[in-house]
Amino acid sequence: MPAGIDAQAPRAIPRAADGKPDLSGVWLGGGFGLLLGEQEAAAIRKADVAANRPVFRQEPPPYTPEAAKRRQYYLDRRGVDDPMAKCLLSGVPRITVRPLPFEIIQLRDRVIILYEVHHAFRIIPTDGRPHPDDHEPSYLGDSVARWEGDTLVVDVVGFNTNTWLAGVGTIHSEKLRVTERYTRDTFDTIVYDVTMEDPEVFTKPWKQQAILRLMPGDRIREYECIENNEDIQRWEKLLQVDPSLKAPATKP
Amino acid sequence: MRTVLVLAVILATPHVAVLAHHSFAAEYDSEKPVTVAGTVTKVEWMNPHIYVTLDVKGADGRVAQWRLEGYPPNMLVRQGWKKDVTLKPGTEVTVTGWRSRMDPTHGAGRQVTFADGTKLWMGPPAGTGGL
Repeated sequence: MPAGIDAQAPRAIPRAADGKPDLSGVWLGGGFGLLLGEQEAAAIRKADVAANRPVFRQEPPPYTPEAAKRRQYYLDRRGVDDPMAKCLLSGVPRITVRPLPFEIIQLRDRVIILYEVHHAFRIIPTDGRPHPDDHEPSYLGDSVARWEGDTLVVDVVGFNTNTWLAGVGTIHSEKLRVTERYTRDTFDTIVYDVTMEDPEVFTKPWKQQAILRLMPGDRIREYECIENNEDIQRWEKLLQVDPSLKAPATKP
Repeated sequence: MRTVLVLAVILATPHVAVLAHHSFAAEYDSEKPVTVAGTVTKVEWMNPHIYVTLDVKGADGRVAQWRLEGYPPNMLVRQGWKKDVTLKPGTEVTVTGWRSRMDPTHGAGRQVTFADGTKLWMGPPAGTGGL
């Protein structure tokens, strides 16, 4: 190391030619993608506090009573109905907080996110264009973004209802609107704030937060989920033999 | 190597530990931890989980065949695992994990200890939503 360079000095946040923070890099989310209800979320918070780790802002989803009943059905079945366990594409924000990394490529007029899981990608215009008027409901919806200071704000609409938002049973309707805020607060981290609005299932916006961590030197690899997904067959059997799965046979 | 270190820290941190694609509690019971020691007979290096089959000799001398689920190959590779090298038929290991709710010799593997004392994560911690 050359003389005079302080090894402890924090590295500056890289910036693009237009002066905006450059989010490019390989990142790993994790935090709330697979939680089985508030009990597991509370256990994680408790462990974080005990270990003096940062505690992410986590709120229980503010479901209407009717939607909460539908969610409870999936919780009682401990997640065996998870669309992700069938290797279906995850939506937003779940795909961000799954435990496989993704690469952000920030260009002048768009941000591209390549996800290791599902070989998925998002192409997010940042040139001010609106959502297209011919978008059909889809797993990842349609994304457009703008900068608010040093934060990339992504507006996502046009979802189908085949996905769960984050943890087990986090259902939503086609009226879902997700706002993601990516703030590179240090060289190694992005604070990921998500607001989920859905007048059909929520009484107010649901806000969650995770920290995305830079994976220096890593790269996106291949993950072909359906290759040997025994869970589909195993859980059919589990539903037959496990007396602790007490949920009613029909969905509320 | 730096990636391996970063990932090792992340995997050891409960709130960002990993199961790639489903809730831990669906099939596994965090109240039923198990430790099995035996000889690897088969390694299925596949997505979305690897499966490791072990011959485990019981106190009565009988050999039971255990099958343990773990991380997908990508997560293992990032910790330094290598296909056909790290774990292969004939390797003696001790694995800690949790028992399946429906199959007494099926489990979720958490940590593998090799004969020389080396330890590697094989799968996610319990009770963390699989995260």
